[in-house]
Amino acid sequence: MFPGGRTTGALGAASGILLLLPLLGLDPFLLDVLTVGFLLAVFAGSWDLVGGVAGQISLGHALFFGSATYACAILTSLYRWPFPAAAAVALLFSGAVGAAAGALASRLRGPFVALFTLALGELAHEVALGQAFFSPKEGYSWGGEGGIPVSLPWVEASPWAGYYAALLFLVLSAFAMLRIARSRQGLLWTAIAGSELNAQASGVDVVRHKRRAFLASALFAGAAGVGFAAHVGRATAADFSIELSFQAATCAAIGGRGTVAGPVLAALLLHALFQGAGLPPATRVLLYAAALLATLRFFPRGVAGTLRERARSRKMVS
Amino acid sequence: MNALLQVLLDGLLTGASYSLMAAGLALILGVVKIVNLSHGAFFTLGAYVAYVLHQRGVENPAAAVLLAAAVAFAFGVFLGKSFINPVRSHPFSVAVGTLGAALLFEQVAQLAWGPHPLSIDGGRALVLLPGVTVRAWGLISLAASAALLGGLSLLLSSRFGLPLKLIAEDEEVAGSVGMDVAKIRYLTFGAASAVAAVAGVLLAPTGAITPTMGRVPLILSLIVVIASGMERIWTIFLLGVGLGLFSNLCAYLLGPEWSYILLLAAISVLMILRPEGLVAILPARDYR
Repeated sequence: MFPGGRTTGALGAASGILLLLPLLGLDPFLLDVLTVGFLLAVFAGSWDLVGGVAGQISLGHALFFGSATYACAILTSLYRWPFPAAAAVALLFSGAVGAAAGALASRLRGPFVALFTLALGELAHEVALGQAFFSPKEGYSWGGEGGIPVSLPWVEASPWAGYYAALLFLVLSAFAMLRIARSRQGLLWTAIAGSELNAQASGVDVVRHKRRAFLASALFAGAAGVGFAAHVGRATAADFSIELSFQAATCAAIGGRGTVAGPVLAALLLHALFQGAGLPPATRVLLYAAALLATLRFFPRGVAGTLRERARSRKMVS
Repeated sequence: MNALLQVLLDGLLTGASYSLMAAGLALILGVVKIVNLSHGAFFTLGAYVAYVLHQRGVENPAAAVLLAAAVAFAFGVFLGKSFINPVRSHPFSVAVGTLGAALLFEQVAQLAWGPHPLSIDGGRALVLLPGVTVRAWGLISLAASAALLGGLSLLLSSRFGLPLKLIAEDEEVAGSVGMDVAKIRYLTFGAASAVAAVAGVLLAPTGAITPTMGRVPLILSLIVVIASGMERIWTIFLLGVGLGLFSNLCAYLLGPEWSYILLLAAISVLMILRPEGLVAILPARDYR
């Protein structure tokens, strides 16, 4: 079922274990932590499509995530749309945002892509913080730090249903993202990440493919955002925050940029570890940042990649 | 009318310190050749140093400036030597790593001093016109910023600035004539960070001191550096003052959060309009 390679096998085994975990009697808190972890893992994987495979450093990736959660919240709560319709439109909306951001960012290079996406993400965050929405019925205002509720068709979803839905979503998305990364399109992106000049010299339309990378990545990030809105039931300004974008980039750096599977696993593991330990958000960001700096300094190709490389070079010496 | 005058005057005084910070960023861009996203954290560090000293009853701005510069120089040299120098050829590591360092500092500051805005008193107010006042600290910040910028410009044109210029121009030649390029790089990073911290001290009384206060000046100095390049200190000064006026006007006319929003919009528009102009401020190399 999975296309060759050990990574996919490992992913399959991991998802098998995760499938059985609730049956072993995990308490609802950890179940919830893992459910959010699955969604964030998709988000980290989507970062890797544009930031790792295509090499376009996006520091505003939360923009695509937050667009989806806010679209879900505004459409369901303010306009009384049914949730499935809102979810579909939210997905399209984050894709449109991704296409627009990609169209603008694809003409930039290197650190300026990072700077530009950072500015876009912060812009969205500030607007979301400052914007107030009036709820039609109750007459009090929504928005700002507290965010907007998402009105969901279910009142109290069973944690099991959420867990398995998110797990299924993770497996399908990871499979799709790996397929894309290993397709011809992924190869073109890798060529651009390797050297834009070389890719251009070989006749690749660099700008067009960079745009596509942003679009594909934004669609997956938006899907993760829709899932998050459905699980948490609220869209807050934190969905646009620089910390969230940074978390995705961190997981990608630790798991190994450009491998898709690495960032997905790193995001899931780190989130389960930090959140499962009950750390407050400030400490979590601190740990992510410290882990990132250590990784970039000592494991420039990601933890697994650098260790593998060292083992290989040792073998060649002996 | 006088309220507007007050806003313009404050914008002038704060803009001078912003341009000091931008000059530091330009120095890093020229000599270390990276876009440094942790520059704002050093600004915040300076403001907190001023706050701590003020809490202890030390009212003299010179003490705060010297202490903040020393602390920031030490941190800057450490960051430059242990992190920036080894990874500086990887744009991903530089961008995400310097952002990570900034976020790390923000969280540490939040743990140490809390997320709530703090403030310090800017000295006795001097009434110029009815409704228009200037505080002692504001005048000191203008004088100190202008003096430091002048000093920097003199330094760069003197014999001592030659290694920096040569490294900015061609680091291979600089290495081949016996300069310790790596050392000059991390010393420059430390010095530029110290300059940012000094700007933070000088602007500490003008607004709320919060862990994330460094983001606005970071974006502002990035705009200055992108728009002006790093050659002419006086262009940096004029742009810094102009943007200081702009952000103060936005805060006054539209509300405090708008100065950050409009600065972010400005930097986005700037990059959209001049995508090819940006390459010129970094060495011609194929970025990954």
